Amino acid sequence: MSAIILLTLIGIVFVYSAGTYWGKVHYGNTAPFLFKQLIYLGVAVGAFYVVSNSSLLRMEKSWTILYIFSLLLLIAVLIPGIGAVRNGSQSWIAFGPLSIQPAEFAKIALLVKLSFVLARKKSTERTIQLSHFVLILLPAALIMLQPDFGSAFILLVSSFALLFIAGYPIRFYVFLMMIGISGLVGLIMAAPYRLKRIEAYLDPWSDPLGSGFQAIQSLLAIGPAGLFGHGFGNSRQKYLYLPEPQNDFIFSIIAEETGFIGAALIVITFAVALYSGYALAVRTQQLSYYYSVAALISMLGFQAFLNIGVVSGLLPVTGVTLPFISYGGSSLMSAWLIVGVIWNFTKRI
Amino acid sequence: MWATKSTKKRMQWMWIVFVVLFLMLIGKLVHVQFIQHDLLTKRAEESWDREIPVSSLRGNIVDRNGKLIVGNKLAPTLYFMPAQNDKPLDAAKELATLLGVDEQALAKKMQQKTSIVKLAPEAKNISKELAEKIQQKNIPGIYAGLDYIRYYPYDQLLSRLIGFTGYDQQGLAGLEYQYDDLLMGKASAIRLFTDAKGSALPHVQDSWKDGKDGATMELTIDVDVQKVVERELSQAMVKYEADQAMGIAMNPKTGEILALASYPTFSPPSFSKVDSKIYNRNLPVWMTFEPGSTFKIITLSAALEEQVVDLDKDHFFDPGYSMVEGARLRCWKREGHGSETFLEVVQNSCNPGFIELGRRVGPTKLQKYIRDFGFGQTTGSNMAGESSGILFSEKAYGPVEHATTSFGQGISVTPIQQVQAVSAAINGGTLYQPYIVKNLIDSNSGKILKSYKPVKKRQVIKPETSKKVREALESVVALGSGRNAFRDHLRIGGKTGTAQKVENGRYKDGEYIVSFIGFAPADDPEIVVYVAIDNPKNVTQFGGVIAAPIVGQIIEDVHDKVGITERKGQLEKIYKWGDVEKVRVPDLVGQTKEDIAKLQYPFRLEWHGNGSKIASQLPKADAQIGLDGIIHVYLEK
Repeated sequence: MSAIILLTLIGIVFVYSAGTYWGKVHYGNTAPFLFKQLIYLGVAVGAFYVVSNSSLLRMEKSWTILYIFSLLLLIAVLIPGIGAVRNGSQSWIAFGPLSIQPAEFAKIALLVKLSFVLARKKSTERTIQLSHFVLILLPAALIMLQPDFGSAFILLVSSFALLFIAGYPIRFYVFLMMIGISGLVGLIMAAPYRLKRIEAYLDPWSDPLGSGFQAIQSLLAIGPAGLFGHGFGNSRQKYLYLPEPQNDFIFSIIAEETGFIGAALIVITFAVALYSGYALAVRTQQLSYYYSVAALISMLGFQAFLNIGVVSGLLPVTGVTLPFISYGGSSLMSAWLIVGVIWNFTKRI
Repeated sequence: MWATKSTKKRMQWMWIVFVVLFLMLIGKLVHVQFIQHDLLTKRAEESWDREIPVSSLRGNIVDRNGKLIVGNKLAPTLYFMPAQNDKPLDAAKELATLLGVDEQALAKKMQQKTSIVKLAPEAKNISKELAEKIQQKNIPGIYAGLDYIRYYPYDQLLSRLIGFTGYDQQGLAGLEYQYDDLLMGKASAIRLFTDAKGSALPHVQDSWKDGKDGATMELTIDVDVQKVVERELSQAMVKYEADQAMGIAMNPKTGEILALASYPTFSPPSFSKVDSKIYNRNLPVWMTFEPGSTFKIITLSAALEEQVVDLDKDHFFDPGYSMVEGARLRCWKREGHGSETFLEVVQNSCNPGFIELGRRVGPTKLQKYIRDFGFGQTTGSNMAGESSGILFSEKAYGPVEHATTSFGQGISVTPIQQVQAVSAAINGGTLYQPYIVKNLIDSNSGKILKSYKPVKKRQVIKPETSKKVREALESVVALGSGRNAFRDHLRIGGKTGTAQKVENGRYKDGEYIVSFIGFAPADDPEIVVYVAIDNPKNVTQFGGVIAAPIVGQIIEDVHDKVGITERKGQLEKIYKWGDVEKVRVPDLVGQTKEDIAKLQYPFRLEWHGNGSKIASQLPKADAQIGLDGIIHVYLEK
């Protein structure tokens, strides 16, 4: 818990630092993000309080309703007029000045619902069941339609992690990997230009103004920082070199200003959060809670890994926020909702 | 209870997977932040750079006493950052008016979508005053980059030696070209801190990227000597309506060139207004011509060194010509000099007498002396465009060639070769390599990068022989053909020369190059001065009449500058009255009092009225007056 509070505080501070210039240029205000982020945080912590104390949420029925509700939202977001398009994806539903991303909530609803389903399994039943995949693929497909590959990918990976913890056989994952590899090979054979995409990822300098742009700008922030960084507030890349620096690429700015030490500290803090999450999971009172907590904390872990991986050039660019730290109401809200659910499920009554 | 062993184990596996994944992240961070640190820092700086270049200073060129010959003066160049001005057309209009240039071209440049535009040539090297005026207008996005252009405190002085620089201060001719690598600095720059679009970030400090100034070049030239030489040559150009004129002053004991001049000349900033021959040819090292009688010094030295003549005791009869293999080689004096001692042969510059000296030395030995004195090859003075001259090949060297060579005809040499050779003949017999660059100095630290010292090439004649040569040449000035160079107590020695010009292998009728090579004082020479006037008109074309007085005047005016004190024991001159020299009056109207003082006119000026500017003069420009005449100058405010 303290690890998560630390991450949130780091987030607030760097949303301010990274966003000052972008905010000034685009909104005429040096701290528009800080102000909004503080409001979001208030709302998120309120939601955390409600969720962590709600006894309703301890019942499977509530999660079935939430799951169906989130599917409806995912459908609603695709309807023009309700869903808002940002950066090429129709992922947002606006409520006045606030907007939410249904996919963020669908991920939570799915993982908890799936946990309850998995926990119900009798020892005589087969481990692999079609219903599990239906549950997973419905929201995944809807998210892909937006399209939001980042969220869909997170959703799929954390779902499979959950299935793994629930005892799906190893050979299933070997099979999955083979499908993945052959699929990749097939895609490349079908359209050789995709190979170029991979090359661009391996060497972003080959196309510095196109697909490699963000990756390069991110590396230009992280690389020169060295061990200690340029000091708080002294980022250069935040001056419009790195687009939306308070958002997905906030880690670059943190690394630029605090160096390797700050960057590694963030990674370690996530690892600590993850470890305590798993430790909490063991303390839960029923199997469905155990699955839920393990799945939700894994999702946060994957998201953090994916974000930092992208920012540091380890992974190809996908739009994934850094939980607790990146600017954005939905991202912050969903992270705190996850913490709320975990808190709720691990309470001893 | 619920948690089976297997599910717990699965969770441990998940944890291990995450540890591996997170370690990969750390590993990647190490790679990016440490291993690729330098590479990425370089690339990041390239991406951030918005530099306004600041020209580094091109190296100064100074004389042997540190006097500035070529320097730099501030002439800013304007730059424009399009991102910082949303009304580039208005800015272009305002700027075009201030600069007095075409608005369209400027507007086109200023609408480019780049981070920074150099406004050249419209606003390259504008004056400091104009740049300040533009800065005061505060046009957004306009920056003045420090830029310099060459500055010539003495205007035309030495220009054919030094050359000039081009548009970007690169050396294009002369020493500027030859030593461009050393003179050229490395540009500095102001690094502006901007965002990705080029907008300035006023709260962040701009940084300064250090360049390096070019090296200072110290010449062996003495500006004071040079000024005298150029003044004399320019007057001769006017007086004799000559085609060209050239002069060299050198220290015979070291080979240091004190002055080196060619006429006509030009002002380096407006080099494009003159013929390229003028700035591409440094006459004293480039031009080759028959030396004429000055070359007789070589024959004389050889004869004395070989001890084949006693100047005072041996006699010679000159009938006005000499027969060699049936060819009749005439003396310049048709009727002949009659009976004379060999000292008189030298004083009279008698051709048949020198043919006799050459005959006594012998063709092989004379050839050897000529080459030992440095003829037939470049002197190694390290000035661009130096010629080696032409001597007779050994095969073609018959008795006639031998005879003409003895009195300086039929061969072709450069002025610098003559100065080099005569210096050796009179300095005690050592041939020194002439040189022009004394030191190359790091302009920032003042440390000497390279220093040039006198180079002794060889001993050509014995010191005692050299002493006899000096005495003979002193008598030429005191008693013989060089008497117009005589100056009381300075003990000037020297030799006249007159040579017909050659064009396409044939002598040109009526066109001569007249020359005189002199030195002083005869007992211990400190300076050798050579002057040649190409095709003088309106006067008897003899070196003794035209060139000798110039050399005499130069030595008189510079003797205290090169450490010559008045001597006792000189040969007394046999005096003949010459004509009063007349020169044309220069145009002084419009100049300031300071200008006039700087130019060192040889006239007496009588000032009338108050003020600093000259309104009129009497006599008018281009009128002729005697050298001791008075010009009345009327001033206005």
